[in-house]
Amino acid sequence: MPKCIIDGREVEFTPGQNLIEVAKSAGIVIPGFCYHPGLSVVAQCRMCAVEIEKMPKLQTACSTAATEGMVVKTRSERVKDAQKSVMEFLLINHPLDCPICDKAGECDLQDRSFDYGSPYQRYAEERRTFEDVDMGPVIKKNMNRCIHCTRCIRFGDEIAGIREMVAIHRGNSTEITTLTGLPLETEYAGNYADICPTGSLTLKDFRFKKRVWFLKKVPTICEGCSRGCSLELHQSDNVIYRCVARENLEVNKYWICDEGRFNFHYVQAPERLTEPAARQGGSLQSAEWSVAVAKAKATIVDKKVTVLVGSDLTQEEALLLKELAPKHFPGAAMFHFGTPGITAGQHDAPADKILKRTSKTSNLHGLEQLGFEGLVTLPRGTEAVVVFRGGRATLPDLGGLATVGVGVFTAAEAEAFQAVLPGLTFTEKSGTIVNFEGREQQLKRVILPLGQAKPLAEILTMWANVGAAAVVARAGAKV
Amino acid sequence: MLVEPKTSLLQRLYVIEIAKGMMITMKNFFFGKKVTIQYPEQRRTYSDRYRGMHYIKVTDGVENCTACMLCPTVCPAECIHIEAGEREGKEKYPVTFEIDVLRCCFCGMCEEACPKDAIKLSTIYEMSQPVREVYDKEFLLEQRGNK
Repeated sequence: MPKCIIDGREVEFTPGQNLIEVAKSAGIVIPGFCYHPGLSVVAQCRMCAVEIEKMPKLQTACSTAATEGMVVKTRSERVKDAQKSVMEFLLINHPLDCPICDKAGECDLQDRSFDYGSPYQRYAEERRTFEDVDMGPVIKKNMNRCIHCTRCIRFGDEIAGIREMVAIHRGNSTEITTLTGLPLETEYAGNYADICPTGSLTLKDFRFKKRVWFLKKVPTICEGCSRGCSLELHQSDNVIYRCVARENLEVNKYWICDEGRFNFHYVQAPERLTEPAARQGGSLQSAEWSVAVAKAKATIVDKKVTVLVGSDLTQEEALLLKELAPKHFPGAAMFHFGTPGITAGQHDAPADKILKRTSKTSNLHGLEQLGFEGLVTLPRGTEAVVVFRGGRATLPDLGGLATVGVGVFTAAEAEAFQAVLPGLTFTEKSGTIVNFEGREQQLKRVILPLGQAKPLAEILTMWANVGAAAVVARAGAKV
Repeated sequence: MLVEPKTSLLQRLYVIEIAKGMMITMKNFFFGKKVTIQYPEQRRTYSDRYRGMHYIKVTDGVENCTACMLCPTVCPAECIHIEAGEREGKEKYPVTFEIDVLRCCFCGMCEEACPKDAIKLSTIYEMSQPVREVYDKEFLLEQRGNK
């Protein structure tokens, strides 16, 4: 491999790599704002200027490809001087309202200013200000904070495939806006907030909810569709506050869709049932675990049972069910369900040109690997149904049959059920899911189970044990 | 066996020693500088930098606080709880601002961290309560000093 010299160190590179990437591979940080590895290069912010031997002027590292024998200095006096000047220039119109800005704490501009800028400011004139237009339900714009890096424009153009963000006017009065002043249309709008290096574009959903330095970040996988994008969920005090994309060049690159980004809300929605419930006197009421399990068992006893397994369960849970179902539900037929109309892996297709897939559950392909069959219609003569569900799979029409729900349900969904045994959502358990390419990925537990929700294995153990009086008493005591 | 020290009768009566001791006590009692005051009629004046009861500074009827959360971040006792919100005329303001004063150690770091000159510790030191007290925003907005 060819080599170049950066800050006196010999660094190998593949031809065509730009200097920012080459330096990064050697652990040398070249600061930049407009450069994003997933977008085209415009060399607009001038922050990544570096000194290259035999070149009279400073060159922008993002737009300069490394060549054999190139000698680059990233921390020479000339470079430092340029960085300081660029920082001062970018901050001329910046309102410095970090105390009220949601980006503070993870802001590129803030960090670079701290590392490369000056603590003093010479600019004393009035700053430009803008009236902000509404950008739709996802993004809140604050043009005053913008440094015109145009990442958002390029994202819309190159990734989201819709050219909705534009820069109007010139120079000092440049304004980034939607062309017609209409709200953003793309279903990937949340990424605008992720890539914005300042607080110009922030998530409305996360607005003022929490300062970012309080959040604990857990890498996990999206359960929104069969692609299985890499996510990072941010929690604090067992509450999930937001979800951002995690870099994974083989699956989702740097992006996620809004559906996946805001999917986590159902986990902590007040409608979710987190207490065991049993039907008493015509309505579903909270009950102790032992009572709910006993009710569930009574519902299916001596009946022809069909077991429905949501394709939003993990491989571990599905395998557990496959092994234990013959014992717990003797003679029952077993099917997977998830998205209406998609009963087999071959029906799963791309839903758009970017990331989304038509199967709206994450583990359809994994369940097929384990030998589950898709539900088309309930077998004839079915008298009772047991539904295992992770929270995302769409419930099929059960036609008023006696139903027991195990897993995650809202109060409305479970209204007609005989009993509900609350299970865990994808944020409360660890496990494996298989995406449409057959890629096995790991879910990680983000928060502790809410309410009395329990892992499937524990629920099945209880299922096996309830009946013996001593065990019932013990389960009651544990609850 | 315990050996009794050999002392004279006069020594064993302690009269002289008591008189000597009382001399010192009386000297301080009549001529010494008094260290106590007649609280609550009399009160000490404290330094302006004394760190007592909290308040949030108000300028032109609007609280200075923008709910930037730097005070809960820096607070070593984790006694400040803020929820931020938005209202007409102020982009970010504290919807709730609570100080669990029993946990507070009066270090004054919140005052130091505040970029908006909002949270202040006044010179009020009479803060004992019969119940556990949590200062809410309404209570804190009362101006208790001129810092």
